Amino acid sequence: MSIVEAEAAQLNVDRPSGLWVDAWDRFKRNPAALVGIALIVVFIVAAVFAPQIASFEPNEQAGPLATNPAGPGGDHLLGLDQQGRDVFTRILFGARLSLLVGLVSVAVGLAIGLVLGALSGYLGGWVDFAIMRLMDLMLSVPGLLLAIGLVTIMGRGLFQIMLVVGIVQVPTFARLLRGAILGQRESDYVLAARSVGVPGHRILLGHILPNSIAPVIVQATLAMATAIIEVAALSFVGLGPADPRLPEWGKMLAENANRLEQSAHLVIFPGLAIVFSALGINLIGDGLREAIDPKLKS
Amino acid sequence: MALLSVRELEVKFFTRRATVHAVRGTSFDLDPGQTLGIVGESGCGKSVSSLAMLGILPKTGRITNGEVLFDGKDLVGLSDSKLRNIRGKDIAMIFQDPMTSLNPVLKIGRQITEVLTKHLPMDKQEATVEAATLLQRVGIPNAADHLDDYPHQFSGGMRQRVMIAMAIACRPKILIADEPTTALDVTIQAQILELLKKLVVEEQMALILITHDLGVVAGVCERTNVMYAGRFIETGPTPELFARPRHPYTLGLLKSVPRLDAVRKEKLDPIGGSPPELTNVSPGCSFAPRCVYATDESRSRVPDLRPIDGPDHLVACWNPVPDEDLPQAPGAEWAVR
Repeated sequence: MSIVEAEAAQLNVDRPSGLWVDAWDRFKRNPAALVGIALIVVFIVAAVFAPQIASFEPNEQAGPLATNPAGPGGDHLLGLDQQGRDVFTRILFGARLSLLVGLVSVAVGLAIGLVLGALSGYLGGWVDFAIMRLMDLMLSVPGLLLAIGLVTIMGRGLFQIMLVVGIVQVPTFARLLRGAILGQRESDYVLAARSVGVPGHRILLGHILPNSIAPVIVQATLAMATAIIEVAALSFVGLGPADPRLPEWGKMLAENANRLEQSAHLVIFPGLAIVFSALGINLIGDGLREAIDPKLKS
Repeated sequence: MALLSVRELEVKFFTRRATVHAVRGTSFDLDPGQTLGIVGESGCGKSVSSLAMLGILPKTGRITNGEVLFDGKDLVGLSDSKLRNIRGKDIAMIFQDPMTSLNPVLKIGRQITEVLTKHLPMDKQEATVEAATLLQRVGIPNAADHLDDYPHQFSGGMRQRVMIAMAIACRPKILIADEPTTALDVTIQAQILELLKKLVVEEQMALILITHDLGVVAGVCERTNVMYAGRFIETGPTPELFARPRHPYTLGLLKSVPRLDAVRKEKLDPIGGSPPELTNVSPGCSFAPRCVYATDESRSRVPDLRPIDGPDHLVACWNPVPDEDLPQAPGAEWAVR
């Protein structure tokens, strides 16, 4: 067998594979990530099928008004709240809200952050300087504080809140992508692409970005958890969605925080919902990070 | 008229710390179908010259003087969009490290079709068919099956073949190969060089082969230019240059190559010292500090390229190596016949 043939034979050894196939293989072998998937599947099923699963409406008075409402048991899996609403139902519908908040705010943060980061990293010079100083400015204020400030300015509609939580994430995405692009910009394949006449915008979008996006995807996953917690936190300090009927987990928690001793179930269950959804997302994010970048595993 | 004519090319890098004068006035002509070797140590400016010709210098680098005439048209100062139409179509380049020169997240086929659809009136499908043909031509068997492969599934030699396929996709008139075999195993090196030689003949391409490996030049190139500290210091037909190196540096290079047929006890004879920093260059010949033949004149004035041993063999030296110092044809038997 000639050398060429031997090499050719070698070509067929590890097919079929690809970047994402390999990543999925590694992801599958990570038990924590699988637990994360399980948690998130439960979360998504709850969100999507909330009307089918729940036996009540989220704002329906399903039991008596009471100062000390009934705890878990009977018709009401997780008990009732003071207005006589079914807690289980409200948590299911809350999942919808949290999922929406997570997706929309991360989408907002990603959209703005990717554009700013890409411009900054690829163009460099004063564009880079201007964008990065703005990001530094935003990062110099604690995220929640910035969110509180922005909500005060923009108002407490659900959409405004999602927007704000997204904006708070922008610097993280922008800086991450900028760093990754800087690492790729001088690489050999970029030079090779330039040497065959590929125009600048195609190099950025078609060559550099696909190589820089992996850490951003990981961050986006983790950012969903942050977004959910942030909205809950905003609700907790009284700056959540203004509509009192919205079954927002953070608000459910806040409304009953001072009644922990009398009606623990009103606090514990929304709290658990927040914890497990955030935990699930974080586990997936960490799993993704390890799967995409095997160097981190060592 | 020469296909490519480089005149007095100068390239400087402007960094915060210093200005590096990387290429200091190089001139050469390249005829259609000619093979030219550019030889020199790392950092002597050989890669930088080719990047400059294509207008793809790093951001800190700039052409400060000279012209690059391609088909009579000066490429220096041409707008980037016009240069892009030449790069990859008329002049193409392959790089040293095939492991990093292919985009790791794009399929092989996609990387080749991108060049084809950019420069030729082809749609995606035609380009895909052509890409498979190209891969076949550079010696990748069952090419059509490998279009959807990613670079990491290929070995170094195979990747360099892919790079070559990309470079010759639009049948360029000039192929610049920057150390195409340096990162490869010796057996693979030979295959890649054979492939390049074959393609140059088949496609009537002119080839500029940049390397530090004299053996490679000897096997492939008709003419050789030796570069030192940003200048050509000796140029000539390869057999002549290897048989009678007139510049002390060329002689030094030839002497520092290990040889199988050397007498056992014979030691390698490396050139003492190291190349000058290109930030502040001394007034005289840049090789003078390392040169045993150096005179006061060579320390104070820069020599120009001048004919020696006939009109084709040029040397930039005040004090060329005399006949009696030439060892018995140190490189003659390697040269192309």
